[in-house]
Amino acid sequence: MIWLTWRQHRAQALATLIGLGAIGVFSLITGPRIAAAFRELHTCLVVPGQDCGLLHESFDRRFNGLQFVIPLYMVVPLLMGVFLGAPLIAREVEQGTHRLAWTQSVTRGRWALTKIGLVAAFTVAATALFAWMVTIWSAPLVAASGDRFGFGVFDLRGIVPIAYALFAVALGTALGASIRKTLPAMAATLGAFAAVRVAVELLLRPRYLPSQTISYSFLQQSPRFGLGDWVLSSRVFDPTGRFVSPDGSITVSPSALAHVCPGVTRGVAFPDKDQVGRCLGQLGVRFVDTYQPGGRYWLFQGIESAIFLSAAAGLIVLAVWLIRRRIS
Amino acid sequence: MNTLALEATSLGRRYGKTWALQDCSLSLPTARVVALVGPNGAGKTTLLHLATGLLQPTSGSIHVLGERPGADPEILGRVGFVAQEMPLYRSFTVAEMLRFGGELNPTWDRSLAVDRLESLSIPFSQKVGTLSGGQRGQVSLAIALAKRPELLLLDEPLASLDPLARRDFLAALMESVAEHRVSIVLSSHLVSDLERVCDHLVVLRNGRVAVDGDIGGLVRSHRLVSGPRHTGALAGVGEVIDRTDTDRQTVALVRTVGPILDPAWTVREVDLEEIVLGYLGGREGSNAPADPTLRAVRPAPSEVGS
Amino acid sequence: MIVFRIDGRSAIPPYLQIVQQVKHALRLGMIEPGDQLPTIKQVVADVAINPNTVLKAYRDLERDGLVEGRAGVGTFVLKRPDGPPPPLLAQLRRSLDRWLRSAFDAGLDPESIESLFESGLRDSLSEEEDTA
Repeated sequence: MIWLTWRQHRAQALATLIGLGAIGVFSLITGPRIAAAFRELHTCLVVPGQDCGLLHESFDRRFNGLQFVIPLYMVVPLLMGVFLGAPLIAREVEQGTHRLAWTQSVTRGRWALTKIGLVAAFTVAATALFAWMVTIWSAPLVAASGDRFGFGVFDLRGIVPIAYALFAVALGTALGASIRKTLPAMAATLGAFAAVRVAVELLLRPRYLPSQTISYSFLQQSPRFGLGDWVLSSRVFDPTGRFVSPDGSITVSPSALAHVCPGVTRGVAFPDKDQVGRCLGQLGVRFVDTYQPGGRYWLFQGIESAIFLSAAAGLIVLAVWLIRRRIS
Repeated sequence: MNTLALEATSLGRRYGKTWALQDCSLSLPTARVVALVGPNGAGKTTLLHLATGLLQPTSGSIHVLGERPGADPEILGRVGFVAQEMPLYRSFTVAEMLRFGGELNPTWDRSLAVDRLESLSIPFSQKVGTLSGGQRGQVSLAIALAKRPELLLLDEPLASLDPLARRDFLAALMESVAEHRVSIVLSSHLVSDLERVCDHLVVLRNGRVAVDGDIGGLVRSHRLVSGPRHTGALAGVGEVIDRTDTDRQTVALVRTVGPILDPAWTVREVDLEEIVLGYLGGREGSNAPADPTLRAVRPAPSEVGS
Repeated sequence: MIVFRIDGRSAIPPYLQIVQQVKHALRLGMIEPGDQLPTIKQVVADVAINPNTVLKAYRDLERDGLVEGRAGVGTFVLKRPDGPPPPLLAQLRRSLDRWLRSAFDAGLDPESIESLFESGLRDSLSEEEDTA
């Protein structure tokens, strides 16, 4: 059945390979330039005490435009689910060819498992290649920003894209086996996949492990700066422990400031930002950051992958059950 | 080894509240060409889908060649099926459809299919979706036959074919019967096409079996009698199957158990179509109720026509 | 090689039509003793009828001694059918003429005569079939 599965889904397979090729070409063209520019920045960063701000800014400016790939890459697993998973069973039943396929010498169960298995294997291979290319290509960018957990960064690198894609294909297959019409199944897959991804990312991911907190003066940079933490929130507290601001910024009126820190506002319409900060720091205003340590990155990749992979397995079992018991 | 080609015992299939098929009992012998006849919704497709394992029974049981349909690859390989509308993968070429058959059937006789399609001048490199209806029918048939089934089931194969294509299809089917002794069950609306080709008849009506018998025996044992208008039951003509009364005349399809002696009756033979119509009870213009006792008819071995 | 044509609307059952067409071809010399009749497969490929019909026809011909079936090879013609001797034919023709005259005298029109003849032929054929 290998030839048959390939022949039936030839178009989708070729489209996937062409897409991967395009990503590959793009990565090969732009990747070395990014890496070279980063090496320049890196030689500055490793020298302690040196101010690399300007270099950093110019690096960011240069490659900010590449952010357009993020939404494109984010839909890759979704596309596989919608175009490979949803039509897999739905089109067969919609066109009546299941009555041809299931009256040859292969039982339905074996037909379904073989087809789904081959498509799943292809999905894993294709997205593994995709994830590998994106991870390597984006490594300098991630190193420069020090952030592996951010939206569009965590989801496109490592092993989670493979789990997302397998989940999407399994979801599409199960919805296709249930709805039995191709276009509605594709629409349902799109909606359901997006909903699950958003729900997991916003509600579950921050809670995979208990978060940690750290407190430091308003004057300072976080002692954990540069460790690649995923900062979930950064709040400001006044010296008595009262919560002042949810996002690390404070609004202060000049009159209140003059009362507390005389000399800062004298004769000046707009007080100097650094002076204000020093004043607040002297008062004992503090940041409290809630975070997931950077070292947990691979743990989180593993947990999220496990969630999507076990959901995929469950959906495949459901799809096979629907095929065996509910379609005629 | 005298297993029946198809055996159903009180077979029933329900969809929600509706019974598509109920209390069906059939015993179809092998080496026959069976006509499965009935109006739309009578249950023909349901019966065939139950026989191929595409459906499971709600009540009763069905066996083909002594086995449960679709239960394992072996019985799947021994039963061939051509579904309604003759589904094929439209974007596949003819050659690719044959490859499909070869991949899914261990007992695949590729040369049978190739020879058959070559003799019909069907181009192998053409996409199936661009073939004519008759050619698609021949491709479907070739695929079903090339796996060398013992029993071949066909759901309304003639419905969308023009008369020439119908004849070619039936000729191809008969060739395979002559050569390989396949048992065949084919359903159709077109009774006239089936008369030359079939030797056994099953009539379904409202999900039940109205007739199940050898065609030769049915034709010999049924007569059409006409005479002056009678009221009430008809005597001396055997079992009345269907009856029409006008103001002057009574015409009835009867199943005879002996010669009809009453000279008031004009007796003539019937053909297959008249038998089917009589058992379906849908004769137009009939102002007498259709005989309510429709039931399975098995001609007794001792029956002889008048 | 003779080609069969079955008239679906005729009162004569298909297998008898085949028997008649073989005998007819023999009488006209279209096939000769020693020739092979078309195989059952060839016949049904040409005329879509049940193979058992052809089988029955060939068995009838074999029973009449006109053909011989050789297992694994085919069915071969043995001899020409005997026609009725000419005096018998003339006698039959004369009684037919007499019958026709009585029918016309009784007031029957040609169509009634034809339908009378056909029903009589059909009834006697089905008798023959039942005893076959």
